Amino acid sequence: MCVSPALFSFPGVCLLHSVRPVSFAPRSLSLSSSRSPRMAGWDLSVTVEDLGPDAPPVTLSVTSDLHVGGVILRLVEKTQIKRDWSDHAIWWEQKQRWLLRTSWTLEKYGIHADARLLYMPQHKPLKLGLPNGITLRLHACFSSPVFQTLMGICRMLNIRHPEELSLLRPLEEKKKKKDKDSAEEIYDLTEVPRSSGTLITLHSLSRPDMHTYEEWLSRPCLYNGMPAHFADSPKMEAIYKMLSVTQPPPAPEVVAKQYRPASVVDKAHINGRWLDSSRCLIQQGIRENDRLWLRFKYFAFYDIEPKYDVVRLTQLYEQARWSILLEDIDCTEEEMMLFGALQYHISKVSQSEPKLLSSSAAMDDLESALQSLEVKMDGESSSASEMLHVTICFRPKKLTLKGYKQYWFKFQDTSISYYKSKEESIGEPIQQINLRGCEVAPDVNMAAQKFLIRLLIPAPEGMNEVYLRCENEQQYAQWMAACRLASKGKSLADSSFQSEIKSIHSFLAMQRTNPSSHGNTPANDESINTHSLVSPRYHKKYKTKQLTPRILDAYQNVAQLSLTDALTRFLQIWQALPDFGLSYITFLTNRFKGSRKDEVLGIAPNRLIRIDLGVGDVVKTWRYNNMKQWNVNWDIRQMAIEFEGNVNIAFSCVTADCKIVHEFIGGYIFMSTRSREKSDTLNEELFHKLTGGHEAL
Amino acid sequence: MCVSPCKRICVSSFHAFPDMTCQLSRRPRPSNENSLPPRSTDHNKLIDTPQNLDSGQLETRESNSKSDLSAVSMSDICLLLQMDDIDAMFSDLLGEMDLLTQSLEQETAAPTSLPTTTTTTTNNNKEVNFSIFTDLNESLHELEDTDLDALMADLVADLNATEEKLAAEIQGLKVPSPPPPDLPPPPKGLSAHHPASPASPAGSTGSNVSTPASSSASSPLPPPPPQSTKPTKEEIEAQMKADKIKLALEKLKEAKVKKLVVKVLLNDGSSKTLMVDERQNVREVLDNLFEKTHCDCNVDWSLCETNPELQLERAFEDHENLVEPLLAWTRDSENKILFKERGEKYEVFKNPQTFYLWKKDNKALKAIKDKDKEILIKENFCGTSAIVPDLEAVLHLKEDGKKSWRQRLFQLRASGIYYVPKGKTKSSRDLVCFLQFDNVNVYYGKDFKGKYKAPTDFCFLLKHPQIQKDSQYIKYLCCDDACTMNLWVTGIRIAKYGASLYENFKTAEKRAAVSSVWTNRSAPSCSNPSTPSPTIKVSTTFVHFLFMMRYLLSSLSPQDVGGVPPPPPPPPPLPSTSTFPPSPPEPVFAPPPPPLAAKSSPKPAFPQQHPPPNFPLPPPPAMDFPPPPPLPPIADHSEAPPDFLPPPPPSFGSLSPLPPLPGKSLPPPPPPCFRRMDQSLPPPPPDPGFLPPPPPPPAPTAAPSAAVRPSGSVRKMPPPPPKRTTPTLPAGGGGGGGGEGGGGDFMSELMKAMQKKRSVP
Repeated sequence: MCVSPALFSFPGVCLLHSVRPVSFAPRSLSLSSSRSPRMAGWDLSVTVEDLGPDAPPVTLSVTSDLHVGGVILRLVEKTQIKRDWSDHAIWWEQKQRWLLRTSWTLEKYGIHADARLLYMPQHKPLKLGLPNGITLRLHACFSSPVFQTLMGICRMLNIRHPEELSLLRPLEEKKKKKDKDSAEEIYDLTEVPRSSGTLITLHSLSRPDMHTYEEWLSRPCLYNGMPAHFADSPKMEAIYKMLSVTQPPPAPEVVAKQYRPASVVDKAHINGRWLDSSRCLIQQGIRENDRLWLRFKYFAFYDIEPKYDVVRLTQLYEQARWSILLEDIDCTEEEMMLFGALQYHISKVSQSEPKLLSSSAAMDDLESALQSLEVKMDGESSSASEMLHVTICFRPKKLTLKGYKQYWFKFQDTSISYYKSKEESIGEPIQQINLRGCEVAPDVNMAAQKFLIRLLIPAPEGMNEVYLRCENEQQYAQWMAACRLASKGKSLADSSFQSEIKSIHSFLAMQRTNPSSHGNTPANDESINTHSLVSPRYHKKYKTKQLTPRILDAYQNVAQLSLTDALTRFLQIWQALPDFGLSYITFLTNRFKGSRKDEVLGIAPNRLIRIDLGVGDVVKTWRYNNMKQWNVNWDIRQMAIEFEGNVNIAFSCVTADCKIVHEFIGGYIFMSTRSREKSDTLNEELFHKLTGGHEAL
Repeated sequence: MCVSPCKRICVSSFHAFPDMTCQLSRRPRPSNENSLPPRSTDHNKLIDTPQNLDSGQLETRESNSKSDLSAVSMSDICLLLQMDDIDAMFSDLLGEMDLLTQSLEQETAAPTSLPTTTTTTTNNNKEVNFSIFTDLNESLHELEDTDLDALMADLVADLNATEEKLAAEIQGLKVPSPPPPDLPPPPKGLSAHHPASPASPAGSTGSNVSTPASSSASSPLPPPPPQSTKPTKEEIEAQMKADKIKLALEKLKEAKVKKLVVKVLLNDGSSKTLMVDERQNVREVLDNLFEKTHCDCNVDWSLCETNPELQLERAFEDHENLVEPLLAWTRDSENKILFKERGEKYEVFKNPQTFYLWKKDNKALKAIKDKDKEILIKENFCGTSAIVPDLEAVLHLKEDGKKSWRQRLFQLRASGIYYVPKGKTKSSRDLVCFLQFDNVNVYYGKDFKGKYKAPTDFCFLLKHPQIQKDSQYIKYLCCDDACTMNLWVTGIRIAKYGASLYENFKTAEKRAAVSSVWTNRSAPSCSNPSTPSPTIKVSTTFVHFLFMMRYLLSSLSPQDVGGVPPPPPPPPPLPSTSTFPPSPPEPVFAPPPPPLAAKSSPKPAFPQQHPPPNFPLPPPPAMDFPPPPPLPPIADHSEAPPDFLPPPPPSFGSLSPLPPLPGKSLPPPPPPCFRRMDQSLPPPPPDPGFLPPPPPPPAPTAAPSAAVRPSGSVRKMPPPPPKRTTPTLPAGGGGGGGGEGGGGDFMSELMKAMQKKRSVP
């Protein structure tokens, strides 16, 4: 009994102990002892939660062959309360188990007169911290394994593929509580179940026998692009909006205040907080109204379909964004700037872009085609494509001692031409420069009224560096926008010209804002502080006015992306980071038992890595597909993994329970078994097989 | 012989466009030179005529069309587009265009089967295209604008073409016999060796050229639409409107398509010439080359660009457009394009472990199983984004502008190449960005040890594709061994291109699989092909792009000249006819759709259609028969000279035929078509479709000639005899001699031809 290795092998996934986490198989001990008082009646006292916390337990006279359903029936009669009791069930406190099998007798459960039973609803409110930092209050199932509870929550929130998420005990925030708790806004979803049948949904999830009918009720058929239960009232719609629209960038102070892991070891600590998927909430000490975090746990995101995955995508983005801001995952400065630019873009677009799901792609095509045609024609009739006639200063090379010379510039299609003066602009230009494929960089200092456009123009001999100095902001914005479009081969007639100008203006505006005011108006569209787009490290490294041009620089490459594309792009870059997907666990290897030196195990979607804490280097990599089997010795809390080629590792985990490590590995293997053909149905059983382990006991 | 003229032409045309660099063929051919002088003169004349024609066309169009379009200026049209009238206008235009295309389709379909027919059809197609875009020729350099013009010209030309076609057909009926006799001579004069080859190339090129236009037109405007469109006028369905506008826009786009003629020199000293369209990606070009070279089509075949000045080489990725990088070459560039096998191209998909598990020792890597490879590929390429192998190595960097090489610890990330600054850790936050991939490509360096005193010869470099000469903006990196170099270059490619590399690989794999099956079958069938094929296989191709033209231009030259010439050549040389089948099919259908489809489709068509051809024209039919074996022709084609033939021949051939047979040439093309139509009806079951069209066909046949003029003449030539299908013929005669010389001004030549035609009537 005590040493019960859960033995798995991949990919065969064979399991020595069949695990049925939901089932409550009677223990042999209790069975035998309960046989004697057979027909005698005895008193069973049950506390009914609905009578109030101080009410005395209800006492029933029962015999051991009474089944649980009968107990409940008599209990309800006795309370004299008329209400819907369908969600209620009996919780056996000493044994930490629910008596969900109503046909089982008390004897079978092994219940005696000394049992402390609690009759209470299975669904209770829970405060759920979302990846976007917002707290939601909703009913969650306390009686089913966390995995199923999670499925219910995700269904309610309209997040597909709940297997990728899990619940996390939050970090203690005792210090913050004083000032924060009062102000924190909590979105309340607790009323949903009663009115709309989502409860039934949750219900049906917890009871396999109630499936078919309710399932179609709960299927996310959309009203106005949202699940039915969100379309009920404006309040609910607001909640859905919160779920599906990205949050504005947080104020830099907020970011700075948050806990940031300083090292890999710190990062390892967070992973000790994951809840056990195979046990229910209440068994893990979670009580009504407790706070939990909902997070993506397995970084193998399957089949993201922007059309259906609005909430999922948004929340995933939020989690990614925070992991960047809090330096949970390391990135280079260039990457940080790009992340910043994308965040800026996303927040802008998400605030302005109404969700247009209706218009067909074909019509869009046509519209844009027509639009461009119109513009083209405008351009040809009124020469819009060369509408910019401006006097600009020009300096071919930075090193030239001569300063800027004034010329008359003309922008035509993707080229600029310059002339000595406006009068000569009818004739041959001094030079014509095609900007296609060139690099455009800003060099702007609002305070000094310096508006420079730096052009790196490719030529067979190399890159020509050219500076254009504009006279004012307006001119700069126009020319900058034109240069950018031209570098991408688009002419001024392109429809994106105006929006490009606008975004340049707004970026200039950001530079103009006084640094002292930035904390107070973080969410205001016009004054997004660029510090709120990067991790606190860069707050110190750069002043706002240094940071802004850098982000603007990166921004020009993403400025034309749609919201979905921008989100996807953000996630792609995030996933391309070398450290992406690593969950760290500190462990001790047996080999070095004596040394007591902690090492860090990184668990990635496809491999395990061992990290040397001293250097921070990856010392060893083991891939799952080379893994033959892994065992958990639940007794001494040790894991042993065997790889092909006679590689064995054994370790005990320090910062997390071995169940968590076990679940991580099993979970990732489960993720890799998903395939398109069977993606519709979640193979719950397999998940539990792979992650449940010791529940077999 | 034929080949050389083609080259000439290309060259000359090239000069017309300063942007383009061209390489002359290494072996100049005397015969060509002789022909040159006359042509050049012709060019100038020709140029003027088209313009005149244009105006004339416009006027005619006014009278004919129900809508007010003709009177409307370009800008007005824009306005109109927004109004309800647009429907009526478009439906009118499109209806008429439909008629035209219908007829064309019929013709084209029938011709493909028979060599003679094919030539005529190609002529027609070419002519149509030509006509559509003639006005564009005037502004070769301004590719961006003139959309509207093109649209107008397009529409107008089509209308005129249909009208003229009818007239021309009538004429053609009357004068069927003359053309055949005349035609043969020109080819002979050109080259005794390859009479057939020129024809075949012409046909192929013509088809290629025409494909875009014809395909687009035909697909959107199948026979049914024309009828439907007119009724719909009143209904004004939104959808119809949308379709039409789209169609119009597509046409606008096509008008802007750039084309390059690329001369391909093979490794063994021979060469192939291809017409590359701006929209074609490297994959399509490779497929074309497979077709021409009969190589084994394995996934390693690549198109590589070399720059002798910088001593670098890069394989184009299959999804890249070929034309764009070629445009970056300087005029005097000695750059070449190679067609060769490069094992490292897709090595990452064959042995992913060497890239993703490079840290492991060789033993472990060798032991890796196929299944593990699959998993690696899936992991790294099938996710939301491709995963870049995390490479880290000490590389030698050539410092900007200095001769020395300096070692640094570099890391590759998806976002770029970074290095670890001195005294810092390797953590991400400390890395310094060396370079990002947005604007650069990665190239292999050759013999840098000698040139730059690099520590080893395993160098790669990163530069903006436009940079063609040594510059401080080129980053040179040197690795300790070949393995590291391949690791890095491949890693950079993955970072730059991501999952599209894998897509490319899958496509290439499919292609290789299919082709192997196909080649097995085909090889046995044709005895002739076998001999040519071996040579081809050996060949690596050098492609020089000879000239770049607009879509129109390219189409024009081949059409004018090519259209006419093809017919003549077929009669004399049997082999030439054979060539037709292979080449035409590809072009006629979709150019991109890989060769396989094209080949398969054309072959079946042959047998069926052949019978009908016999009837019509005694000479051509006879000729046709030999070709029936599709493969042999291909083989001929593939043989050394033929390579050029495809693209250039058309232009060349067209030129030559045009001058000599101005008056007579016109009639010939139409008659064959006509006859086919009539006669073909009974025998060929597949053709039945044609039968109904027959009425329209006459129009189309006339149309081609008309089309040619309209494009050229759209503006100024009002009355000029639309019936003069002959223009093509005359053009061919004239072109034969001076085609090469005319290279400088295709346009002018065309114009000249046009004028002659007119005078003839």
